[in-house]
Amino acid sequence: MERPLSPFMFPVWYRFQLGSALSILHRFTGIALTIGSILLTWWFIAVAAGGKWFAATHAFIASPIGMLLLFLWSAAFFYHLCGGLRHLAWDAGYGFEIRDANRNGIIVLVVAALLTLVTWLYVLL
Amino acid sequence: MPDTSLSNATALRDETILRRVRHLGSAREGLKEWRVQRCTALALTPLGLWFVASMLSLATSSDQTTAAAWLSEPAQAFLTILFLVALFAHAVVGLRSVFDDYVHTRARLVAADLAVRALAIILCGASVLAVLKLFLGR
Repeated sequence: MERPLSPFMFPVWYRFQLGSALSILHRFTGIALTIGSILLTWWFIAVAAGGKWFAATHAFIASPIGMLLLFLWSAAFFYHLCGGLRHLAWDAGYGFEIRDANRNGIIVLVVAALLTLVTWLYVLL
Repeated sequence: MPDTSLSNATALRDETILRRVRHLGSAREGLKEWRVQRCTALALTPLGLWFVASMLSLATSSDQTTAAAWLSEPAQAFLTILFLVALFAHAVVGLRSVFDDYVHTRARLVAADLAVRALAIILCGASVLAVLKLFLGR
């Protein structure tokens, strides 16, 4: 069976819309989180191995690049989490009208930013 | 509605193809994957909130013994393993749906899917083993 293709339409063929931007952001953060899970596994192994393995891993995490990656990872995680809950609501038939979808898209962005902020306040303070 | 499509004619099985019975319904595994993605999403919501906050605190401190002690507690070890299994199951389905949309060659699609599944199994196995090692205190 010939399946319809879904070419990459955004932003070359479509004007900017919140819905399509958040949709591609959901996928992008999903892919980024999967790549991040490689670093997560590395950290687990380093904790289990201890000694110089942990020291080397911690030196990387504590470096500016490491902290930036951790911050981006957490921001991606909270966006993907909130966006995912929005998808689950859609699956259940709620919030799918254009007006509602635009509104809950903004809510998702705000809540994700707040969760990221609160988490880092909790971590650093 | 007679179904003369090539994919049904070449299906590697003898039983009545469900899709033919249900007309436009799927006879493959799509619905199962869809459910796995949603169920793991539900599981990952509380597990992820808990894990990310805990893990970031541990990862940003330079103390290995605190992190090791935290992961060797039964509740923490158990919930972390649940989180990891749900995470990698969710990632496999999610990446597969991205490949379905953007990889248009059957051979490349199968190769990418297999590579992601293999990587997920290796990463999940390695991280679960690391948690088990700490939990069992070896």
